[in-house]
Amino acid sequence: MDAFLLGLESLLQPTVLLAIVIGSVGGVVIGAIPGIGPAIAIAILLPATVFLDDLVSLVLLLGIYGSSMYGGAIPAILINTPGTPVNALTTYDGYAMTRRGAPSRALSLAYSASFFGGCFSIAAALIALFAFGPYLRDLGALFGQRDILMAAILGAVLLIAAHRKTMVIAAMLFGFGFLIAMIGRQTTRKIDRFTFDIEYLYSGFNLIVVIVGIFALSQALNLMVGKDDDPPEARVSGGLFTGFRDLISNKLITVISACYGTVMGIIPGVGEFVAQFFSYSTARAISKDPARFGHGSPEGLLASETSNNAVPAAAMIPLLALGVPGEALTAMMMVVFFDAGIKPGPDIFDTNPDFLFSLFSALFLVNIFVLITLLFSTKFIAKMIYIPNRFLGAMIMILSFIGVYSIRNSFIDCIFAVIFGYIGFILRRLDWPLVPIVLGLVLGSIILERLTAGAGQIKTALDLINRPVSGTLFVVILMVMGFIIWTSIRNRRKHFQ
Amino acid sequence: MRAPVDKNNDLLLFAEGLPCTQAEQFRSECPPDKKTKAEDLFEFSRGRGDLHISIIVACLALFFFAMFFTQTGWDNRKLPNGFSSYLAHQFGFIDLDGKITRFGRILKQSWVAPMFCLTVLVPTALWNLRASCKEHFWRKRFLLPTKASFEVVKYIEAFEFVIYFIAYTMLVPIFGYLLATVLLGVFLPWRLGYRGRVWLLRSFSCSVAVVIVFRTLLQIKTPVSIWLYDLMPTPLRGFMLTYF
Repeated sequence: MDAFLLGLESLLQPTVLLAIVIGSVGGVVIGAIPGIGPAIAIAILLPATVFLDDLVSLVLLLGIYGSSMYGGAIPAILINTPGTPVNALTTYDGYAMTRRGAPSRALSLAYSASFFGGCFSIAAALIALFAFGPYLRDLGALFGQRDILMAAILGAVLLIAAHRKTMVIAAMLFGFGFLIAMIGRQTTRKIDRFTFDIEYLYSGFNLIVVIVGIFALSQALNLMVGKDDDPPEARVSGGLFTGFRDLISNKLITVISACYGTVMGIIPGVGEFVAQFFSYSTARAISKDPARFGHGSPEGLLASETSNNAVPAAAMIPLLALGVPGEALTAMMMVVFFDAGIKPGPDIFDTNPDFLFSLFSALFLVNIFVLITLLFSTKFIAKMIYIPNRFLGAMIMILSFIGVYSIRNSFIDCIFAVIFGYIGFILRRLDWPLVPIVLGLVLGSIILERLTAGAGQIKTALDLINRPVSGTLFVVILMVMGFIIWTSIRNRRKHFQ
Repeated sequence: MRAPVDKNNDLLLFAEGLPCTQAEQFRSECPPDKKTKAEDLFEFSRGRGDLHISIIVACLALFFFAMFFTQTGWDNRKLPNGFSSYLAHQFGFIDLDGKITRFGRILKQSWVAPMFCLTVLVPTALWNLRASCKEHFWRKRFLLPTKASFEVVKYIEAFEFVIYFIAYTMLVPIFGYLLATVLLGVFLPWRLGYRGRVWLLRSFSCSVAVVIVFRTLLQIKTPVSIWLYDLMPTPLRGFMLTYF
């Protein structure tokens, strides 16, 4: 309880509250503009967080992460264009409702579903912290270097498994990310890895340079090379308060979807898409009117939006508990932890419990603030949809430059950022996923660090898996890999039949 | 106004009573019926240029594999004598006498992590190339477009903006954040076709806002010496260096 009160106290600082407001509003606006998305916004803001307090930085990034999907629903519902990629499923039923002449009901439903999903997973995390807090402190003793190493490997395997149709490409790009993480001089033995005698590479690539290049600059190039969209006129009329009534009348679907979002968020590498997939499919299976799914079903919209927004709070759990980020946005937040010198992991329950409570309470405030903002300013935010893509691209490019250059005023940093941006641009055009590169980079760094630190305790190869946690994780890794192989063989057989 | 209906057209069964013109006959307000599936979220298809990039990626992976022996400390590797029996001992298949090297000492060596990484990278890059080739030949067989020239044009177009980005990087130590950002922030939208007075004003305001947020408020790092600011009187120079 003391930790909770301490956490609240640090949350009530004016700078932190300001970060919540800026993060929430900024996230909604960024989400509402098709073509930007939270990953790009966070990538651009990452360098600036170096100049801010740790809690302020994290709350700002969390605000963007937690609120962008609310904003992403607006263009998805009004003009059939998802604001963020995870709102793609919202277009199926949301836009159909708009065509039927019920845009306000669709928006209201999306907001209330998102709010419920967000609060559900935050409540689950806070209850877990309260109920298991005393036991979580002992968890630190169970998690050694080898256990975290296995957790990172499991994260990588799950990430690859989650890319259902592009598994080989995801594995390949994860390998490239890992390779980039490896470049540099090994500090303990002074041996260079893939540096090719280039002085800049001795210290390895700066994570922020790569992330800004891969996410922000690549999208800037993509937007500038493309054409401006001509979105149809979006009109919002009528009240936005009816959604809660729909939510209550579909409580079973709502709760199931929130559970899916929470569980999938906790599992590293899985995230919003798989959560949506399961919740949408389940909602259709238990619905009395499954034929309406995809043609303006409120249940479908409810399922996708609830599960989406339940993910951010849940995704923080593996990051904070194990120090293993599950997807790109939490991987970027890991960079803030690196910079702040905070080591997320099981020890954090013992050393910084108030910090955990602050983060989750901040996310709760973000949800409340976003809901209030949206209920009263949707008409204004909907106008953001009409900012031309190419103009946005130019502005993103400028922001990316400022982000990279401000790290250490290095010309070479900018050159490498632009190289990574160009690579990202090509990958975007091919529709190859970018997330595995960033997770390869972050998880690769964790794997390298834990492998070196834990090597002293490894007498034989079996020592890697003879601890309760590492052994269990190893079994899970084998099961996931077995499942991947089994599904590939099954699909192949189906293809030839 | 509706056009007169052609009564000689024997395709029309109810020519007199048709509610639309001939040109409008096949237009429908109903979208084609489609069963919506959540699986559609994971849809992926290889487009033009995929094969070429897959080849480049595979070559890059093989290049790193070739470099593995010289760039990772492989030359200085320390492996126990009789490595195969050592491995068998590690996994509990046989017992070895005498002092046995700790497995951790091998894992600590600098070449181990790159080896694991390349174990993932090289096979997946080659597998991806194989899949891309199959798709390419399938497209060719069904006379679908396979030429990458359209994509190459886009890559070249993007390169123009890369040059602007590099120019911006070079301009900041000369003109400082404010002027360099305003220059690029106005020029880039102008180059993209936003040339009206309103757009120029918007571009200018956005550029100034970016500088105020990042440089004035957040105080991001700036080069110690900026050519233009160095020409200014000392108090103004100090002010500009601190806030812009």
